[in-house]
Amino acid sequence: MATPGICDSANLNGGQKLAVKYFTVAITLFGAQVLFGLLAGLQYLMPDFLYGVLDFSVNRMVHINALVVWMLYGFLGSVYWLLEEESQHEIVGLKLGNVIFWVLTAAVTVVVLVFLLVQVGPGKESTIWLINEGREYIEAPRWADIGIVVSVLVVFYNVAATFGKGRYTGIAGVLVLDLLALFGIYLAGMFYTTNISIDQYWWWWVIHLWVEATWEVMVACIMAYGLMKVLGVRRKIVETWLYIEVALMFGSGILGLGHHYFWIGTPEYWFSIGGVFSALEPIPLVAMVVHAVFDAGARHAKNSNHPTMAWLIAHAFGNFFGAGVWGFMHTLPQINLYTHGTQWSASHGHLAFFGAYATIVIAMFYLAVQKWRGDVWMSGGLPGNGWKWKWALGLLNLGMVGMTMSMLVSGYVQSQIERAIEGSSWIGYFAAQSHHWFVQGMWWREVFGVMFAAGFVLLVWDLLTIGCGEQRKLVPASDSV
Amino acid sequence: MIEPTGLADFFTIFFSSAMVILLGALYALLFAYARIRAMPLLMPLAYLSYAGLFISTLFLAQAANLLSHPLWETVVACMLLGYLLAPHGIWHLCVGTHAAGAEKDAVTEVIPESMTKEA
Amino acid sequence: MATNQWWASESFWRKTAIWVTGGSFVVLMLLTMDTISQISVGTTRVPAYSVINHRIEYKFDEQRRVQVPVIGVKEPLFGKELNEEEAEALVKLGKLTTQAKNCMNCHTLLGNGAYYAPDLTKSWLDQYWGTSEIREVQMVEFIKDPSDKLHNSMGRRMPKLGITDEEARGVVAFLKWMSSIDTNGFPYNFKSIEQEN
Repeated sequence: MATPGICDSANLNGGQKLAVKYFTVAITLFGAQVLFGLLAGLQYLMPDFLYGVLDFSVNRMVHINALVVWMLYGFLGSVYWLLEEESQHEIVGLKLGNVIFWVLTAAVTVVVLVFLLVQVGPGKESTIWLINEGREYIEAPRWADIGIVVSVLVVFYNVAATFGKGRYTGIAGVLVLDLLALFGIYLAGMFYTTNISIDQYWWWWVIHLWVEATWEVMVACIMAYGLMKVLGVRRKIVETWLYIEVALMFGSGILGLGHHYFWIGTPEYWFSIGGVFSALEPIPLVAMVVHAVFDAGARHAKNSNHPTMAWLIAHAFGNFFGAGVWGFMHTLPQINLYTHGTQWSASHGHLAFFGAYATIVIAMFYLAVQKWRGDVWMSGGLPGNGWKWKWALGLLNLGMVGMTMSMLVSGYVQSQIERAIEGSSWIGYFAAQSHHWFVQGMWWREVFGVMFAAGFVLLVWDLLTIGCGEQRKLVPASDSV
Repeated sequence: MIEPTGLADFFTIFFSSAMVILLGALYALLFAYARIRAMPLLMPLAYLSYAGLFISTLFLAQAANLLSHPLWETVVACMLLGYLLAPHGIWHLCVGTHAAGAEKDAVTEVIPESMTKEA
Repeated sequence: MATNQWWASESFWRKTAIWVTGGSFVVLMLLTMDTISQISVGTTRVPAYSVINHRIEYKFDEQRRVQVPVIGVKEPLFGKELNEEEAEALVKLGKLTTQAKNCMNCHTLLGNGAYYAPDLTKSWLDQYWGTSEIREVQMVEFIKDPSDKLHNSMGRRMPKLGITDEEARGVVAFLKWMSSIDTNGFPYNFKSIEQEN
């Protein structure tokens, strides 16, 4: 093995080399997400800023699409990262995997350039095929949809075939089925219909079932691998718990789709389905709390990678508050009637996406960097006491909590003035938007956004430098795989 | 099917539903901690959290007009019962799965006595 | 010590995970089939496109305790009555335009989208358009070039998006049709434009 402390691809297996490429694009898109988020946030405060050049709609579209794509890159990268170790077999179609990576990345680049430079088109189907589909989160034009589907299929092939030839573990079984679902569900968003109720019905299949079902399960797989790796938890226990979590998450999450079907024209029975399953959704979170305490008590928590461990803890808290507390606060139809489509949704969305997904992908980044530099020491006593990763962790989390709180204040004002009193009319909307509490919330959101951006810069700097020149090797966690 | 909530009840709803989740987690946390560390003194605190959850749920039910329809009454009842029993059930699962895991792998793992007593 | 309870075994939970996932999915499929049939165009929840030939109101329903759309007397859009195909073509042009111009990344439609501009669910009925006589013309003019029109006191404006006259008429038709969808009372407490004769 090469000298420890420098990035050397000789330290990585084939899948991990490919994973590093995915991670690099992921963090670049994370940067784009932060940048365009700041621009869009600023337009709430200075409406003429970039008006007619990069309008709010464009900035916001890039902001949320960068989010979806960087998470997807993070997950696909993570899957490639663990694939060879988990299957104990070389990746079957590594060359194809590499080709597809470059094709997908080129396609993403073209899509972003078209979003920024062409922006909109005439009201024809050709616009939907070539420029912009105009449906939140899945704006990517149809040609790119097909590209995404093909790419996910290639990843699916690589994962299924590699596990098939090597060791087919419990994690493998869940992962293969989950990738298949990820591919299948995306198809539900790939057609045009004039009927907006049916349009939004299937649109929520993609958004909800990706985000609240298949992504959650993918994270559970990555987490299972991470727990064996970092804490040395035994496979038998990890895999049993993976099944328990899948049962709880799919059991509450699939029909939890109902809470999006209150107001889009769908029948009233969705009130009860959405209400019941929303009340169930905290159960997997309670399970995680009890199990985490049990686990921590059953072993003397030692770990071989402090930044990864810290981000996994941030994941637990972020998931609990973002999805659990923030979700349940406005999910019952009796109150959702007022909060649906206000800054409440934005507040919940920010904390939940960050807490549940960004944190775990960042944890994987640190795990990758450690291996890449030759399995170096990343526990206590790093140079400068590890100030960079600690400050990055602090700034990113505080920035996010601050943004969430600010939008909560704005959302509260909006649900009262615009929704309850004025009933979503034009006058009511702007009465709320110009209320001084709302405006203050938007200001603080921008301030905390800048704090978040500073944390992002520090995170990139840290990932580029942590472990450089480190001579100590890691001490493996107790009884690992 | 639903009766929209009144403007005056907004804060009660947001606050009490946040408390339901937070106290649910606190109850689960204290419950698990009391057992794993064999600190029975924590157990009353755990049930105190649950009592808080119970009251929060009733406030929520009142403010969101959940008690005016049998369906929503059932949801409230399920929440009260479900949150009470969930930590117990999951605790048993923890003990059970770890016991099964330890036996197969035969790896020495320190499981405190307090943990196995309950099973 | 408790050993290998069946309910704590790996295989039990593997099967449970599969059955729970499969079961939920089957239930979702059944519900989807029922829902799709209830929200297809031409049903009571989602009226036919030719509803744009009629006045659309949003009135409080004593039994459901929320406002619901009510289809009223003949009041053809732009003064011209359209048959079913013509109406569909016009609404389709409007829906395509709202997608092509990325409306959803500032506005919400049926409450979904971005939060930088007002919700469009009942925008056809908004008091902003003044009276029902001048509404159609006002809307078309606004959509074609909003940049110099009055929006609010904050200086937040909709940009000019290169929308043609025909596309703007389509968008108005789409908005009128959308206001007739039964959204279970969303938005609540909406104050509608005066439409009585």
